[in-house]
Amino acid sequence: MMNVHSKEWPWPTAPDLPAREVDPIVLQIVEGTLNSIEAEIEYAIERTARSPMIREAHDYRVGLFDRYCRKLTGRSYSAMPNAVVRDFQPHTMRPGDVFLMNDTYLTEGSIGHLPDLCSTVPVFHQGEVVAYIQAFGHHDDIGGRVPGSMPGSATTVFEEGLAVPPIKFYSAGVRNEAVFTIIRRNTRVPDMLAADLDSEVQACLMGARRMAELFERFGRETVEACFQAILDTCRDIFRRELLPKIADGEYRWEDYVEHDGVTDPKLHKLALTLVKKGDRITLDFTGTDPQSSGPINWPGDYAGGAFLIKWVAPVLRNLADTPERAAEIHVNEGVCEVFDVVFPPKGTLITPEWPAATNARSFVLLRCLGLLAGVVAQAAQGRMPADQETIRYTGFYGTDRNGKPFLSREVLGGGSGGRYYADGNDAIHIVPDSRNQPAEFTETRFPLLVEKLALRTDSGGAGKRRGGLGYDKHYRALVDCRTIVTADRVRLGCYGVNGGKAGTPFCVTIDVEGSPRDLGGLVDGEPVLAGQIVRVVTTGGGGWGDPLEREAELVERDVIEGKVSLAAARDDYGVALKPDAGGDSFTIDAQATTALREKLKAERPGERHMIDRGDGFEKLIRGEIKAWTRST
Amino acid sequence: MALAVGRGQLRIGIDTGGTFTDIVCVDDSSGSMRVTKVASTPSNPAIALVRGIHAILGETGAGVDDIAVLAHGTTVATNALVQSEIAGLGLIVTAGFRHLLDIARQSVPEGYGNSYFWVKPERIVPLRYVREVGGRLDFLGAELRPLDEESVRAAARFFCRQGIAAIGVCLMHSYANAAHERRTAEVVREEYPHCTLSLSCDVLPEYREYERAVTTLVDAFIKPHMSRYLDCIRDELGPQLSEKPFLVMQSSGGVASPDQVMRKPIATALSGPAAGALGSAVMAEIAGFPDLVTLDAGGTSTDLCLIESAKPKTTNGGRVGRFPVRIPMLDVKTIGTGGGSIAWISREGKLKVGPRSAGAEPGPMCYPNGGNEPTITDANLVLGRIPPALIGGGIRLSLLRARQGLEKLAARLPGAMSVEQLAEGIIEIANWDQANAIRQMTIQRGIDPGAFALLSFGGSGPAQSPAVMELMGMKTCIVPPNPGNLSAFGLLAVDWRTDHIVTKVMYEDAINLPTIAAHYASLEKDAVATLEKNGIAPAKTALVREADVRYAGQSMEVRVPAPSGTIDAQFIVELIDAFHAAHLKTFGYNYAGQQKVELVNFCVSGFGVIDRPRIPELAESGAAPKHTNRRVYFDGGFRDTPVFARASLAAGSKLDGPAIVEEFGSTTVVFPGQQLTVDRHGILIIRAANKSAGALK
Repeated sequence: MMNVHSKEWPWPTAPDLPAREVDPIVLQIVEGTLNSIEAEIEYAIERTARSPMIREAHDYRVGLFDRYCRKLTGRSYSAMPNAVVRDFQPHTMRPGDVFLMNDTYLTEGSIGHLPDLCSTVPVFHQGEVVAYIQAFGHHDDIGGRVPGSMPGSATTVFEEGLAVPPIKFYSAGVRNEAVFTIIRRNTRVPDMLAADLDSEVQACLMGARRMAELFERFGRETVEACFQAILDTCRDIFRRELLPKIADGEYRWEDYVEHDGVTDPKLHKLALTLVKKGDRITLDFTGTDPQSSGPINWPGDYAGGAFLIKWVAPVLRNLADTPERAAEIHVNEGVCEVFDVVFPPKGTLITPEWPAATNARSFVLLRCLGLLAGVVAQAAQGRMPADQETIRYTGFYGTDRNGKPFLSREVLGGGSGGRYYADGNDAIHIVPDSRNQPAEFTETRFPLLVEKLALRTDSGGAGKRRGGLGYDKHYRALVDCRTIVTADRVRLGCYGVNGGKAGTPFCVTIDVEGSPRDLGGLVDGEPVLAGQIVRVVTTGGGGWGDPLEREAELVERDVIEGKVSLAAARDDYGVALKPDAGGDSFTIDAQATTALREKLKAERPGERHMIDRGDGFEKLIRGEIKAWTRST
Repeated sequence: MALAVGRGQLRIGIDTGGTFTDIVCVDDSSGSMRVTKVASTPSNPAIALVRGIHAILGETGAGVDDIAVLAHGTTVATNALVQSEIAGLGLIVTAGFRHLLDIARQSVPEGYGNSYFWVKPERIVPLRYVREVGGRLDFLGAELRPLDEESVRAAARFFCRQGIAAIGVCLMHSYANAAHERRTAEVVREEYPHCTLSLSCDVLPEYREYERAVTTLVDAFIKPHMSRYLDCIRDELGPQLSEKPFLVMQSSGGVASPDQVMRKPIATALSGPAAGALGSAVMAEIAGFPDLVTLDAGGTSTDLCLIESAKPKTTNGGRVGRFPVRIPMLDVKTIGTGGGSIAWISREGKLKVGPRSAGAEPGPMCYPNGGNEPTITDANLVLGRIPPALIGGGIRLSLLRARQGLEKLAARLPGAMSVEQLAEGIIEIANWDQANAIRQMTIQRGIDPGAFALLSFGGSGPAQSPAVMELMGMKTCIVPPNPGNLSAFGLLAVDWRTDHIVTKVMYEDAINLPTIAAHYASLEKDAVATLEKNGIAPAKTALVREADVRYAGQSMEVRVPAPSGTIDAQFIVELIDAFHAAHLKTFGYNYAGQQKVELVNFCVSGFGVIDRPRIPELAESGAAPKHTNRRVYFDGGFRDTPVFARASLAAGSKLDGPAIVEEFGSTTVVFPGQQLTVDRHGILIIRAANKSAGALK
């Protein structure tokens, strides 16, 4: 196995030198300016890109790297330049060169699905490449079988659109028009995609100029010493502050993706063994299920797991002393010195073989966060948040009342998990600054009436700290149209931790007022008739801690606010409430509550699990769940 | 508080800040200007306000009769939002939307993975005080279901029983048809006559239910605070002064009468920074640098604002505290470094400057009764860049304490730095922070800062801004006269203003000219009526039309000027052309000729035009200005540096850096290699003497 630092990689790896002392003032200026350059590139993209996925859902990432392809900033995850450097030696690069790629199997594990076209720009100082700037956005369409390039039942990459291995897109400032023409010809929205690419390329070039100024101002030796100090700080925070919260030992757990759009119903297992020894952690995914015939595969076994480590490691920030401290910890390449990854042999969900489809790899990608959090919860006596699932795509398309085609696509969040210090958040989305559609916008633009925009009562997993609630959104179709859904956690709820219960799963119900029918999570155009209501219910977060220990006053407040029903207050929390005389509110019946809580405690089965997966899991294991039926 | 402009010749601006209340008085007959400061009285800001008026009258030897108008910038609304516990608010929404505030826009603040540990703040109204009422309109304002008045009555009785004093009403699509909200207000008043009500159709008649609801609730919350405050002012002013016209600054950059403010008090949130930006805009024009970035460095933070063609940029996507408030306001960005920013060592052993601040209390270490951690002001003092006493000798500073604080900090850092090296480094870090913030702001707005000047004001700006200017490669740094009082000056430089808006979404191919004409006519009628009520003479009235336009399908509009005059086919062509042009300028591209647009909001602003105060010209003088000398630290060593009193600088004076210019309330540092010239209005203009050598590009 080659780890991240192996000298065998086809790109330069950092020499192992003793740490150099750096001027604390220059260090602070360099670090502040790197963060600013990252933000400046983001602002430039946000201002000039056109895809709604970039502009509204904020689905784009920027990264700054040193010449060893090490990520220097840590506000978000990003792609990696390794594949570019692998295919183009740095000494052959020229100022004004721009590289482009999106091929999920040829990007060293850094690009997960084809809509994420990624631009890479080298930074020069005195004629040599000293750093890289990179940006990718989730573009609206890169061809393939369906609009949006995310076919829910794809079995090969050929159905998912145009794959671009690392190529030189601009040579010394001159765009390769042949490449540009091919890309434009292979998307349903050529102008929009072309403009997005232009926006990303120009923003990266601007960032590269800014980075070069830093080298010019302070000199290469000083700037590179600052880079090393920035990486070392991140490494040391993990080693000194977070790892000591986990006792040395081996911890094992598994979680599942429960559908892949092709073989349904079926549990797809992700297995993880975490070995903590001193100041190192090994993540071993041996035991993970074979790759899926559907599009949920994630090609992660490249570059020693450099992308995977940076993707999952931030989960450990939850071990920080306080949530405020957790928010201060930025995760850069320094974290790769703390982790090793063991991948199973080729042919599993995270080591798929070309040409397995990957467009819904976010199911596996997101599950890996919860998988690590679940393992660490066991290693850290439950001092970790319960599970959350906050990304899914829902929408409608058809012809509006003026005879014009319409497509309404929305990313709806869900409830986040309870934490030892707070309840989970209601209806949030993991991507920072992503926004939902106002109902008044939806109704103005599309032949839809939002009859209800609410939180779903009882969806948050019960716990001492309750899981956040998911959406309960009702759309009435005003014309005949079709609905589309790409969603996970449709049978397994988000798990609860340390005695907390799982939240309720995602569900789409059609014809709510007539003959209601559940559609499942991968829906490619189910017909909806004018007047029918489609109800979208998103996942509640898992609960944290024993619900019988939740302060009765908080349960009372939840009932008054409609977040928890009277029945659930009684059955899940053991809190007896009686309505006030005025009918405005409820009061706690203290005596009945004590009795009820004692009774519930006595009735519990002896063994208590650190993790609660909810009803869906048991039913699936027992084979009680059937495949969804669709009318198409 | 009277309405029409009075007979006197003095215009007095009063800007209430956290520590000081600044007063500026302009004599319209001579153009002369006088400034002073009094200590603020936070428990009742009206006391300092009146003290300040009397103080400046005393200094000018004038009487109350000589006053033409009083203009006031207040942070009452902002402070109420930031400092008070928000309680006692209720919300009425359309059935099905009870969780509107809790869901918000589902956003988590920046930082990937923060959704795990971020804790959503309490909502402005807890869910138990959100009540649903039956009835529904569609986006055109057509009634789908009639208002269920019984449910309104039940809600009103509930709020009355619960002692909820202020209620916001936000019903779906009320911007398209206000009937349900108006009827709701009538029913609520029948049941609960003494409650404070704010209707979303009055506060923000524009689509996006969440933002409209929050804006309406903020307005409802501010109302009682503002009402009490204006009553206090009336009491404190006394019978004579309250006869004088009294104007209050709004965030949009116009002034309004107290009556107008009370109808929509939210319009005054953030009026403090707005006054500073407007004062800067006037200076921009006078100094001949119409494009500039303003930098207002105070004790705890620095406000940045972009001014293009001598007009400050406005936005309607701003925030007050943690609340999104979609009313027009000047586009001011606040960053967390000011004179009181603390230099400290992080848990990882790194040197940091800000955002923690010693503020006014306890203040920098060198202040009397100052704090125990060194600040930017302490660093400036140690380097000799600011004098050992501030406010014309009013505050004596302790160099010893500042040195001790920095010595202690230096001992904990690697590299055996001297106190001066550390002090210079702290200022260098703060300068880079400001430069990076300016870059981010200009990039977000599609502007090249290299083509702009930097205008520096506020107590702690001009000691550093000339260095920031060079870091940015900007054209020049300018420092206006009385940089500590520019906000109060701005109050005297702005027009009376009233804003009116209505949402009516119209696709480019389905434009209905009579409907647009009717909307503008109605908005213009409202604007004129408001101005008339405030005693503005018709000759001084101006109306400006604007519209929010977007490409069909986008969810973000651009506000563009709309032609005046007849609303015909030509009007539409000009409006849409203006939109394409604005889109290109703002976002770097447009779809002219490719994509259809939608008109979304129609807006009218009414202005009561006020004569701008003039700034008197300085006499020229052939004699070299007198100076004292002081040792000041630059680039690693102390240098004997001339120190000038600003009042002694005549028009046309030229100074080579290093040099220090001192005045009441502020100190300007001219760095080695820079040159300062004094223009005919006394504005200091600082340039890199050899721009290509000094700039970092």
